[in-house]
Amino acid sequence: MNCEHSRLYLSAYLDEELDVPGILVMQQHIDECHGCRAVLEQQASLRQALHDPALYAHPTPEFAERIRNQIRRAAQNDTESRFVSLMTPFRMGWYGWMRAAAVVGIALFIALPWAYRLRGSSERAIEEAVIAGHIRSLQAEHLVDIPSSNQHSVKPWFQGRLDFAPAVPDLGDAGWTLVGGRLDYIAGRTVAAVVYRRRLHDINVFIWPKSGAADETANPRYIQGYELLHWTRANMAYWVVSDLNRKELDEFADLLRRR
Amino acid sequence: MWPHFRAAYNLARWLTRSHDDAEDIVQEAFLRAFSACENLRGDAARPWLLAIVRNTSLNWMKRSGKIALAMGGEPELNDLREPSPDPEQSALISVDRDGVRRALEQLPVEFREALVLREIEGCSYKEIAEVAGIPLGTVMSRLSRGRDCLRRILASPAKETVT
Repeated sequence: MNCEHSRLYLSAYLDEELDVPGILVMQQHIDECHGCRAVLEQQASLRQALHDPALYAHPTPEFAERIRNQIRRAAQNDTESRFVSLMTPFRMGWYGWMRAAAVVGIALFIALPWAYRLRGSSERAIEEAVIAGHIRSLQAEHLVDIPSSNQHSVKPWFQGRLDFAPAVPDLGDAGWTLVGGRLDYIAGRTVAAVVYRRRLHDINVFIWPKSGAADETANPRYIQGYELLHWTRANMAYWVVSDLNRKELDEFADLLRRR
Repeated sequence: MWPHFRAAYNLARWLTRSHDDAEDIVQEAFLRAFSACENLRGDAARPWLLAIVRNTSLNWMKRSGKIALAMGGEPELNDLREPSPDPEQSALISVDRDGVRRALEQLPVEFREALVLREIEGCSYKEIAEVAGIPLGTVMSRLSRGRDCLRRILASPAKETVT
């Protein structure tokens, strides 16, 4: 054994955590090596010093009492809750829990897809209505009721015709011309349609209130050759539909959300 | 669990080097330990409880920015003030109580925890491995390096007076 190894095992030797062959090898080396013996002596006196009871950090009696009370309280709550569970009409064993879990699982299995489909179908109906509204507005030459590129004449026009005030931001500086506003009928209610144009592409923005809805942005959809964006902000549902490409329409939607 | 209350405080106190932090940590650890398993008694409870105290302490210190190192790898001693020459030739090391306390407090936390658990708490290597979540071989090397480090720190002032 060389000194490098000896130093590594010295501390375990001191702690009597070496196996018998290890102890024998160490003993032999320490007998022969003056340097390692000195280190061992230092470590032994260091160890002695560390065993000084004054180094032990004692908690204060007040703190001990506080924790003790806390444990007692926790134990009490625990017994109380156990008592409550005893009082329930039937105590469910492991088997009972399994059965209950199975029932809940089956119920969810049936109910979830159903609820999902229900929600999905209403969402899809709105999508179709929005697309239809867009197509209608282009076909019947009835794009706008109030043709104006001035937001200050479009916005007041909605007043008195709707029970909410849709945002009509002017995005002309970003290259989105405001064409005007129109009333439309979607999902069983009158909604605001604000029309913008870029190059030859018309963009319908349908807005109506949707109270209690969380702010969220739906995945973009592509239906019948139209791009369809939808999001909810501040209890208002926004649907943007156009034959413009997705990239530009996304930029438009970002602008709209920011204003 | 209760019999190890003192050990819990001692470990937390040495790890955080703060009385207030140690009390908060012990309180948190005991509530966690209690909700986890109130029935654990006897010798098995000590390393289990101390492991909770240790992890709570380290999280606490990480959160409060007192240690920035990631536990797991072996600590580097380079950052530590290296009190140069190996004092093996002079058998004298200063082992007064306050000096030892200060030296222990300035050790990197991995060495400090191993030494506190071994020397002050009197844990076996196996228990230390359990508390710190490291293999036995690592316990051995951390104790060895920790002691060496401590020895060097303590030897430097004594050496000045000797030579």
